[in-house]
Amino acid sequence: MNSIIIVQMAVSGALMGLVYALIAYGFQLTYATSKSINFGQGELVMLSAFFSLTLLDAGLPYWLMVPGGLLFGAMMGLVVERACVRLSLEQKSEGWILLTIIFGLLSFSAAENIWGRDDRPFPSPISADAFNVFGISITPLELSVAIGVFAVMGLIELFKHKTLLGKAFEAVSADRDAAELMGISATRTIMLSFGLSGMVAAMAGILISPITTVGPTMASALILKAFSVAVVAGLDSGFGVVLIGIALGALESLTSFYLGSGWREAPGLILLIMALALRPNGVFGKANIRKV
Amino acid sequence: MKKTLIASLLLGMFAVPAMAADAIKIAITGPFSGGSAPMGTSMRDGAKLAVAEINAAGGINVAGKKKMIEIIERDDEGKNERGALIGQELASMSDLSGVIGSVNTGVVVAGDKHLQEKGITKIITPAAGSASMNQWSKAGVKDLSIFRFAADDAIQSAMVVEDAISHKFTKAAILYDSTNYGVSGHDDLVDQIKKQGNKLAVVASEKFNIGDKDMTAQLLSAKAGGAQVILIWGIGPEMAAVSNGMAKLGMKMPLIGGWTLSMSNYIDNAGKNGNGTLMPQTFIEEATTPHVKSFIEGYHKAYNVTRIPSPVSAAQGYDAIYIFAAAVKQAGSDDTHKIKLALEDLREPVKGVISTWKHPFSKWDPANELTHEAFRRADVVMGKIQDGHVVFAEQADRQRLIKSDSK
Amino acid sequence: MLKRLLLLRGTELVALVLLASIPLVVNNSYALGLLTLLTIYGILLIGLDVTVGYLGQVNLAQAAFLGLGAYAAGLSVTVLGFGIPAALGVSMLIGLVMGALLAFPALRLEGPQFALATLSFSALCTTVLNEWESLTGGAQGLSLSRPAMLGHAMKASGFYWLCLVLLALVWMAMRNLLSSQWGRAFEALRDSPIATDAMGVGTFRHKVAGFALGSSLGGLAGGLYAFNFEYLQPQTFNYDMMVVLLLGVVLGGRKSLWGAFFGASLIVLLPNLLSSRLLFEIISGLGFLLAVVAGGRGLLKKTTQPFQAIAPVVAMGILVAGGFMVENTENWRKAIFALMLFSVVVGLPDGIMGFAAQYLARLFGIKSAALPAASMLDDVLPANTRDLGVLLELKNLKRYFGGVKAVDGVSISIQKGHVHGLIGPNGSGKSTVVNVISGLYAPTSGEVLLLGKPLPAGSLFSVARAGVSRTFQNLQLFGELSALDNVMLALKDAYRIPVLLVLLGFSRAEDRRAQAEALALLELAGLADQARVRAKDLTYGSQRFLEIARALARKPELLILDEPAAGLAHPDVAVLVEMIRTIKRRGITTILIEHHMDVVSKLCDQVTVVDGGQVIARGTPDEVNRDPQVIKAYLGVVPDEIIPA
Repeated sequence: MNSIIIVQMAVSGALMGLVYALIAYGFQLTYATSKSINFGQGELVMLSAFFSLTLLDAGLPYWLMVPGGLLFGAMMGLVVERACVRLSLEQKSEGWILLTIIFGLLSFSAAENIWGRDDRPFPSPISADAFNVFGISITPLELSVAIGVFAVMGLIELFKHKTLLGKAFEAVSADRDAAELMGISATRTIMLSFGLSGMVAAMAGILISPITTVGPTMASALILKAFSVAVVAGLDSGFGVVLIGIALGALESLTSFYLGSGWREAPGLILLIMALALRPNGVFGKANIRKV
Repeated sequence: MKKTLIASLLLGMFAVPAMAADAIKIAITGPFSGGSAPMGTSMRDGAKLAVAEINAAGGINVAGKKKMIEIIERDDEGKNERGALIGQELASMSDLSGVIGSVNTGVVVAGDKHLQEKGITKIITPAAGSASMNQWSKAGVKDLSIFRFAADDAIQSAMVVEDAISHKFTKAAILYDSTNYGVSGHDDLVDQIKKQGNKLAVVASEKFNIGDKDMTAQLLSAKAGGAQVILIWGIGPEMAAVSNGMAKLGMKMPLIGGWTLSMSNYIDNAGKNGNGTLMPQTFIEEATTPHVKSFIEGYHKAYNVTRIPSPVSAAQGYDAIYIFAAAVKQAGSDDTHKIKLALEDLREPVKGVISTWKHPFSKWDPANELTHEAFRRADVVMGKIQDGHVVFAEQADRQRLIKSDSK
Repeated sequence: MLKRLLLLRGTELVALVLLASIPLVVNNSYALGLLTLLTIYGILLIGLDVTVGYLGQVNLAQAAFLGLGAYAAGLSVTVLGFGIPAALGVSMLIGLVMGALLAFPALRLEGPQFALATLSFSALCTTVLNEWESLTGGAQGLSLSRPAMLGHAMKASGFYWLCLVLLALVWMAMRNLLSSQWGRAFEALRDSPIATDAMGVGTFRHKVAGFALGSSLGGLAGGLYAFNFEYLQPQTFNYDMMVVLLLGVVLGGRKSLWGAFFGASLIVLLPNLLSSRLLFEIISGLGFLLAVVAGGRGLLKKTTQPFQAIAPVVAMGILVAGGFMVENTENWRKAIFALMLFSVVVGLPDGIMGFAAQYLARLFGIKSAALPAASMLDDVLPANTRDLGVLLELKNLKRYFGGVKAVDGVSISIQKGHVHGLIGPNGSGKSTVVNVISGLYAPTSGEVLLLGKPLPAGSLFSVARAGVSRTFQNLQLFGELSALDNVMLALKDAYRIPVLLVLLGFSRAEDRRAQAEALALLELAGLADQARVRAKDLTYGSQRFLEIARALARKPELLILDEPAAGLAHPDVAVLVEMIRTIKRRGITTILIEHHMDVVSKLCDQVTVVDGGQVIARGTPDEVNRDPQVIKAYLGVVPDEIIPA
């Protein structure tokens, strides 16, 4: 009995962890090209989820809604890049941190007023009825989240390595100045990364909404975790976020069970501060040599 | 230089916004944004509906003169700091007749002391935990201007525990959110279990945080302890996550909790997993009587919705305004102190949508908080969730309410 | 000069008197409540400005320190029975200690990582306060009542005056501190941690000190917060509050006491401004006009980019239009706040007070304070008696990066008083050699001896303290600091007053002396007339000279010049040569890395040539110029491996 409970918790925690990982991946995409991240990413997840829900309410079938939602996410990503990030990058300032926080604030308020303050269910064609594997309950819905996470990340990694545009992306990530000298437009590549990142956020919104429900605050708890996962794994760690995400999710569940649910987040937070102190660039991040 | 500008701006703001003379000014406060907004906004909208009806009928007859009601809205965001500031602001308005509102216990504790200091009459509705009233009884305050128009946690928790015991359960798990509301609800439940003869063993006490989506760990604790029923105290959609988690883990035991389970963010998000969930209710959105019917339809029409986000909050806000208006009429004055005295001794029954209120409050006695509490056990019924709606858990309650209305 | 003092201090005094007299004039509990909160937030934001403005880090822990301070004060009163002064002392101490503790792991972090570390700390604090129910009362909160002070019950107005007095004290102390070496060190850290270390100003202790200082002010504000509200709950001090604080600092203006105060006013008053429709319409209208005027002017004068001018106009336009369309502005409060902030951050990067300060300075003709006369150069850099012997010795020095052997067994010895040239083709390892000497990298093996004693390995700071000073191939100036401050920061042995006395304002005389000395060095670099210009606004050539002046301020035994002529125009190269000659006459031993052979020939006593990480020739400039191996190395034999810079 007891070992089944532990495994059940680890599995449920890990599934939550995969969601952290997907959102964290959105952070990585923009960090790679521009060394900036969108602090309003959680609101992007939320806006896209609401928009997708509106498409569904308008009578669009689920499978047509998905591309619509993704397109919306990508567009919002571009808006963030244009309005909040580009100027700061040109001025080499860190103004983007504040501007993206402001974007989040605006989105939150707008969503509250446009879609209401209440959490709402998000229908999904995939069943939420659990099935049993060796005594462990898993729902097809949870499984679909896991598959979706890997599919999205896999496709984008494939795109980065197999297409010309993707290679430009890699080039700007590696050395922005050198890439510009080779005739690659860094500005366009950064736009691309924000578009992709917005799309990842939308995908996250569509995937998790049937489980978490849709509401203005739906992502505010998730986003802190995702941010932790991204930084602890390393903002340039690629699939590293998956491992760290799963680990954090499972750790939270187990802490909750053994230490009491009020302390759920404490060990994760302490580990996080320690991990940062020991490896500032993340567990899977590349250590950079100080240059002068 | 910049400074003097700020200072003058500051001074300018202290002036209470100019309003039509000869109106009765009532402030409505509550969380209109943030996590507990569904309760705050439903209460506000219910209250505004009542105000609109009263004004449409020509206002309140105050000592022979018809006066309109004017509303001042203040969003406390569920934040204590805002609550304290709003309390100070309202306390400094010289012509305010009263205040209606509040959801969060912390906000009430931080803000009401300023109102009490100036003797401004306030009716707390739709919620706020035990501390909102017992802070005054503990301090032994002799003359209190704060009233509560909400089913207090003691009544609710008594009903929840009663219900669990009546189903012959012996092992219960308590799940509660980590806010003031959840923690004090947990304490009330434990207290009630003791009072009702320790017939329930608490096999797990587990917290969850606002925003938590995965309740597996808490539920497995309950399961491991062999719980037969889960008692829950929380506010928002997290409780839906509990129901969904139970379904996933194949835990088929009933869920019983506070009235907040009737809010749409639980019902909608738990979907079919919410069926059978039980909770005490002061109001059920079912057109049992013509009066209730017209309220529900009025609300739907005025705010263009098909269902009230939190029917209990809306109904309490609505009734609170009618009770307040009755006190104004009886006092024959818009003076907040005279209104307070009238509230403590309302002679005419007030017909509301929850009940017909007969002498709801009496003179404050610090030894007996019930003097400033409107709700009694009999005003509260057990509600049950069925296919997305709250229905009467006991048909007897339904019949009783219809009968009492026709009287 | 009197005018400057009168205006600046006068404004502060007038503001203080005005604020203090409001309770005498207006008898309104609400006004008093707002004003009290304003002073508390003022202290809080001044503290936050140390990390966000001066240290340049996004600090998301200030709300947590507010909470810790509040609970410390609350528990001091309820559990320990302390009075107000002692409780506030405890609050400050808690802030100081916890701030220092958090600074240790957070020290190595920058940007997003630092933000996350502080954010995690905040979440941890909330969890502990919420879960430690036996002490804090958990989610049900902690009620306390304000104890009497000096035998008198503290009424609202009395408490307000207490807060105001504390704000004034904090204000003065911070003004003293931030205009001293400490303030310069904080800003230097932000612009270039590497150069801060290389100038012998420890990044470590300044970062810890700055963070602890800001946190202790957070703690103090927390103590006052507890006595103001008399009821605390852990959830109050959350991320939402932190975002508001951060935005308050930025909106008001970073690196400015007035900015912090203005930011605090906005935070406290804005929700109230919006609750009146008329006020909202006036404010949004004024904001729109300001955006149009400022943007239009910027565009016409071409001082701003189109986006910077247009975006605020659009944002404020949305605000005005939205005001007409929306029924209830209260519902949209956050969005309104966001639009205003967006306009300010984009349109006025220095914040509202930063913008206003520039404008007012011009309006009233306020000039910077006058500088003292420069010291004699002989006093600053006494000419060295020419004793002979070896100053620096490298013994079989190696430094590998993974498989790349950047330096592979280099041995050099450098005579006192010499200018020693270190040359070689790109990627030959010469920069790595000086990076190892100056402590940026630890050697893989081998020895570096200064006057026969080993230099500390791998610590810029310790090496700088041991008497080695350097410039950088890619400039590492403190861009936001003036030329004068750049040099003053590096001055050796100029600052001895302990920090407590600095807070009380006893460092002025010392600072004055440092200014005079720094001016002497700026004269040497030909920059005396540009002392007040920000380093990043200097011409490229002047920036190079400024770095040399700054390095000289260390009064070094050994000066390392890493490609000082790189990118210089021809006339500037001549100036540079003269400058190095002057330095040589003072007897300062110098290592000169240089590509310009004519410069090397003119200046160097000895030259070492490295290639592929090894010494291929040594001797006088003439000797190495004729060396066939050197000629081969320079004329195009490409090394097999690429070596990191």
